[in-house]
Amino acid sequence: MANPAPASGLAITEHRLANGLRVVLSEDHLTPVAAVCLWYDVGSRHEVKGRTGLAHLFEHLMFQGSANVSNNGHFELVQGAGGSLNGTTSFERTNYFETMPAHQLELALWLEADRMGSLLAALDETSMENQRDVVKNERRQRYDNVPYGTAFERLTALSFPDGHPYHHTPIGSMADLDAATLEDARTFFRTYYAPNNAVLSIVGDLDPEQTVAWVEKYFGSIPAHDGKQPPRDGALPETIGREVREVVREDVPSRALMAAYRLPHDGTREADAADLALTVLGSGESSRLYNRLVRRDRTAVAAGFGLLRLAGAPSLGWMDVKAGGDATLEQIEAAVDEELARFAAEGPTAAELERAQAQIEREWLDRLTTVAGRADELCRYAVLFGDPKLVNSALPKVLDVTAEEVRAVAAARLRPDNRAVLVYEPTTEDSADGAANDENEEAAA
Amino acid sequence: MSDHTPAMEFHPQPQPGTPTPWAFPAPERFTLANGLTVLRCHRPGQQLVAVDMVLDAPLAAEPEGLDGVASILARALSEGTDTLSAEEFAGELERAGATLDTHADHPAIRVSLEVPASRLERGLTLLGDALRAPALPADEIERLVANRLDEIVHEQANPARRAAKALYAELFPAADRLSRPRAGSTDTVKRIDRDAVEAFYDAHLRPSTATAVVVGDLTGVDLPALLESTLGRWSAEAREPAAHGPVAGDDTGRVVIVDRPGSVQTQLLIGRIGPDRHDPAWAAQVLGTYCLGGTLTSRLDRVLREEKGYTYGVRAFAQALRSAADGSGRGLLAISGSVDTGSTAPALQDTWAILRKLAAEGLTDAEREEAVQFLVGVAPLKFETAGSVAATLADQVEQYLPDTYQADFYRRLAELDTEAATRAVVAAFPPDRLVTVLVGDASVIAEPVKALGIGDVTVVAN
Repeated sequence: MANPAPASGLAITEHRLANGLRVVLSEDHLTPVAAVCLWYDVGSRHEVKGRTGLAHLFEHLMFQGSANVSNNGHFELVQGAGGSLNGTTSFERTNYFETMPAHQLELALWLEADRMGSLLAALDETSMENQRDVVKNERRQRYDNVPYGTAFERLTALSFPDGHPYHHTPIGSMADLDAATLEDARTFFRTYYAPNNAVLSIVGDLDPEQTVAWVEKYFGSIPAHDGKQPPRDGALPETIGREVREVVREDVPSRALMAAYRLPHDGTREADAADLALTVLGSGESSRLYNRLVRRDRTAVAAGFGLLRLAGAPSLGWMDVKAGGDATLEQIEAAVDEELARFAAEGPTAAELERAQAQIEREWLDRLTTVAGRADELCRYAVLFGDPKLVNSALPKVLDVTAEEVRAVAAARLRPDNRAVLVYEPTTEDSADGAANDENEEAAA
Repeated sequence: MSDHTPAMEFHPQPQPGTPTPWAFPAPERFTLANGLTVLRCHRPGQQLVAVDMVLDAPLAAEPEGLDGVASILARALSEGTDTLSAEEFAGELERAGATLDTHADHPAIRVSLEVPASRLERGLTLLGDALRAPALPADEIERLVANRLDEIVHEQANPARRAAKALYAELFPAADRLSRPRAGSTDTVKRIDRDAVEAFYDAHLRPSTATAVVVGDLTGVDLPALLESTLGRWSAEAREPAAHGPVAGDDTGRVVIVDRPGSVQTQLLIGRIGPDRHDPAWAAQVLGTYCLGGTLTSRLDRVLREEKGYTYGVRAFAQALRSAADGSGRGLLAISGSVDTGSTAPALQDTWAILRKLAAEGLTDAEREEAVQFLVGVAPLKFETAGSVAATLADQVEQYLPDTYQADFYRRLAELDTEAATRAVVAAFPPDRLVTVLVGDASVIAEPVKALGIGDVTVVAN
């Protein structure tokens, strides 16, 4: 590489409490702040048929109080201490995080321990009903009421077969959100919210001995339990084997061509090669798709690729092209196929590979620039790959991938017979009332 | 013993340790030979360096009928230089691991470079070339114009964007540039060509009225020399800085419904104009507005989200629109969020009840205390990255505020009493002086909203 890589990895220490809670610490005294991040090894892939969205709805309930914390007390106490906080749910995990002024670190640990050990003492029907409505409004706001809002859900469902743990997305369906009961939530907590199913990382301006003593004090007496079943098997053939296609006629502003390709699992060298391939092909304004579709053919206003890294199922490569002017999707699709075939045959040029590696390096620096970003990455490597120290080799691994490896993964995976295609055709004024498809009506019910 | 009795051992809520003092960083100022003003701020450990440029090209300076020319120019700055084609320029930026974002807004054009410290010189060279000698190629400008025309259609379909467009059109007189979309409308964008873009560049972009804010780990960097050899190569005849006219807005209480048949939610945007950051009451207004709608435990979400479940979240906020050195500028005050269609009128009714109760009874000391603790305490987190510090310093520059503004703001905030916060927020959100924009299904929401008596209701087509 012509450009030098950034120096030095993170200093990381690990501990494990008797109840199985894994603890990861990383000191950094540059700013008087400390980040606490707790990953529970449960996500939407653990949900069962008829209860999609439960992991995410449950995440909301974690902010509704526990034995010693009032309803919304978690937010009040953290913000009142000058901290920020939230939680998110994905296919593979649920995370909770607080970033605190360093002198308030102990409060965040006390709060996380209280809900890990005693959520059910406070969880009631009122919270359940209220947060069900809030989550349904979250779904409307983020997916149902915006153009192309359900594309992610549709493409995921096309990429993973019915019944597969990744077939549905974390937001869940309206019908399942309506069907979830308080008893479902209690069972979910008893099954998955255990110290031995979590990793706690703490990063920033901290005293390691004192911090470990606090963790022991607050989390140490929470009993371990082993009710968790492994997630349903996510094993699938490496490629889909045929092209799957759905056409959506909806009131959207322009035609769109979207696709998802099955790619190698996160954590493998091939996944890094795929990341580089997608970066060369579709990330930024020097990428092949942008140059071809937006600059040269002028058939698109936006064109790009992104990578959804998954560890328990094939990762997905996402393509999103919004057509411009009067361009047809046939023109666009032919151009995309031509570019992918050329890339599969020739691979990236040396200059393209260098640019892609520099972009990924910058994104990585960006994630690690805050204590909260570092805490989240440490949990990710601990939960998904068993070792938080892998964080320090992540970037060198990407920089080590060769052009031939990038070409090979593109040739094997970025093929028409390994993709789900989603096509949007705008409805005309006259047909707008009658043409909404079934899924959309169900979602809006 | 109940099934839900926890088995863990409890401890009392811990008390905080000793806080480490923190202050918003003070930048140093110097000027390059070409007249460019520089603010420098060394942040140890921040390996991504942020360079924020403030270019004195306000939207109000756009020629009549050419709304959007500033935006097209801003976008065209990264479409090649005297030595690099558009594709090559994008490639060089990416090779440096850099990003270059440009944006034209009412006060100025902003250009933001982020680049790893190890490649700062390369990044600054590209930024300098983009400002000094942008190619402004006719074919790329034609493409940017076509893309903007498509983008307008997408904005029109997005409820939040549509609401903002309608509110600005309602609040401001048609003659004020504030009333019209920042990046132009279909009729004006169609008229933009290379000549118009170049003329705007020649008239308004020059180092003597521009500022560069550089923030990050600058260990071992001779910044004045590095800047002289990059941004310092940019030259243009000096001119007077732009003048900013006063801002007026009509906040007669009224409701505009933008009809969006079949919408499963209604987008709410309730606003008026108020003080900008020059006003002595700004800090008190930030504090009071946070208590009203800054987070999910604020007054609005406590009811609308956490009691009623009408929404994923509603926020109250204030933002500067256009400021002037003499303090004649104004800001936008607003409440924004979306609610399920059936809850539209009930959510508005609750909002007005919350505002009336606030005016009648004021904030509590506990609310004030928690808000101050949050707003002051969260500052070290908010300003952890170089990019966030640079953006705030650049905002100060474009709003004609002193470099010490943000640091003083935190000191002032900590000293405010409950009464001052109440006074400011009650003055900011008077229930009878709010313009309400609703983007939603008029056939369902219009009648119940009329019955609320919060102002005349007009329905417009999307």
